[in-house]
Amino acid sequence: MNAQLNAVAVNLLGTVEHPELGDSPYRVDADGAPYVPVGDGGVILGLELGDSVFALEGDHAAPGACLTHGDAAARHALVLYSCIGNEAEVRTGAASGARGAVIGKRGENGRVIVGFRASDLARMRPGDQVSVRTRGQGFRPAWLPAGVTVLNLDPDLLAALPVSSVGATVGVSVRMLLPSKKAGNGLGRPAAGWDLDLQLGPGDGQDLRLGDLVAITDIDSRYNMGYRRDWVSIGLTVHGSSPLPGHGPGITPILTGPRALIAPREDVHTHAGLTTALLKLQ
Amino acid sequence: MKAVTNAERLVTQVLTGEVWPALADRHGYRIGPDGQPFVLPGMGGVTLGVHCGDPATGYAADHLEPGASVRHADPAANMAVQFLTCVGNQVTVASGPARGLVGHVIGQHAYVLVDFAEAAAARLTTGDAVTIIAVGQGLRLADHPSIVVKNCSPGLLELMPGGTTADGRLEVHVAARIPAEAVGAGVGMISEYANTDLMGAYESLGADLSLGLESLRVGDIVAMTDQDHRYGRGYRPGYLTIGVICTGQCMLFGHGPGPSTLLSGRADAFRLVDDPAANLSSWYHNQGRAEQ
Repeated sequence: MNAQLNAVAVNLLGTVEHPELGDSPYRVDADGAPYVPVGDGGVILGLELGDSVFALEGDHAAPGACLTHGDAAARHALVLYSCIGNEAEVRTGAASGARGAVIGKRGENGRVIVGFRASDLARMRPGDQVSVRTRGQGFRPAWLPAGVTVLNLDPDLLAALPVSSVGATVGVSVRMLLPSKKAGNGLGRPAAGWDLDLQLGPGDGQDLRLGDLVAITDIDSRYNMGYRRDWVSIGLTVHGSSPLPGHGPGITPILTGPRALIAPREDVHTHAGLTTALLKLQ
Repeated sequence: MKAVTNAERLVTQVLTGEVWPALADRHGYRIGPDGQPFVLPGMGGVTLGVHCGDPATGYAADHLEPGASVRHADPAANMAVQFLTCVGNQVTVASGPARGLVGHVIGQHAYVLVDFAEAAAARLTTGDAVTIIAVGQGLRLADHPSIVVKNCSPGLLELMPGGTTADGRLEVHVAARIPAEAVGAGVGMISEYANTDLMGAYESLGADLSLGLESLRVGDIVAMTDQDHRYGRGYRPGYLTIGVICTGQCMLFGHGPGPSTLLSGRADAFRLVDDPAANLSSWYHNQGRAEQ
């Protein structure tokens, strides 16, 4: 889609999720050890953008509150339409009126991750209703090279991220550049609704922080995410690591295109991606 | 010599299922690698004309499932069917005009996939009941403690060439070796359910999508490099996973022909032998051969 069309905003209501477990408390890690998953959805306290994805002993812990919807189809729509940077407002409960912003989203049944000030998040509980001003799918800045796709981003946020027009290409600062074989859960799934887990563990010697941009090579994430030689996908780190094999810290894809058109620059020490300051959540 | 196992201590359980229909939604189309909308058969029902030994790709299909696709109607019983059924298990048709005909499990794909000789498959349809003689989960290799066995009937292990080598490794014959870059949808799932889709085998869909896997055949025993499937499926340098290709051509991006997991462990615990005959058709329901 190369025509310049105006992105449409749609207010949608989500409900703060309660974590769910099955009859057994255990999941099994890559070495066969059982563990009790903590932090896989719901409201997570004490974790925010800028923290390491390995900071907590959690399983897919995300910084803020995860939103879902009781109706499966409405839940998918909420997730598909929500974009990073979208404004959110608490509508019920003790934090009613508090403002937050979409940090990312997760796949499978679908969750929208919304960041809030710590003082607001502390007053929230599962079941609270949050309205999201969804906007961004279909957005395409005029300067973007024709072969590059942007997705899952609020139109007002792109300019604040370390993404710029460099000649005929898109320059992007990233915390790290990873090969496609490190891509995990999320492959083969639609990039508009799923995150892509990175198979990175705390022992791999590479630190990654929530909000960081990451480049993953040879992955095309225009539609479903999959292998395409000489392509690259840029994602924003939205949740923490996981002991599950094939899982790990997750990125929500925001840019994808041929390597010839997207030039990621690995700034291991100086990279700054999405921050609480950018989202006015300080 | 053949690897020593605990086969005589395994429990055999009788399970039931039925040939499950293909499923679609009212929007019909799914999306290919370049955004191509498609409506193609492949999953569910009884897929005819493709059996073990046949090419896995080259069909106008998506997630091609050779033979009969089986589930149980009760959700919890279905999980028992999906988890406990192993490759090589015998399946007997229990209703309909094909009643009494015998096939074998070739893998899992959120359905149990059962290949029959073409003449038998042609008489089967959705809703036909089947009886599965499930045995294999819990199978262990006494002399290879670092290798975990998954979804593999003891009968299949016995039929596969190879075994324990003089230097203590497990020799396995494989028809193909798979690079880690090929692993797509299915990564992150448990090893006893569905399979690992391999990207890079999209026959005719573009050179930049190819990882040279277009010659895979249904039933091929394959070795996946840097994959640890002992307790779920993930990337891990220095590990190796043996699987069997049980699904074929995909149009859906990030998907492709898929192996169900059979063996997984440290790479240095294996000795691989490249062998084009390492295919289920060498041992089960070979076309033109009488059913055993």
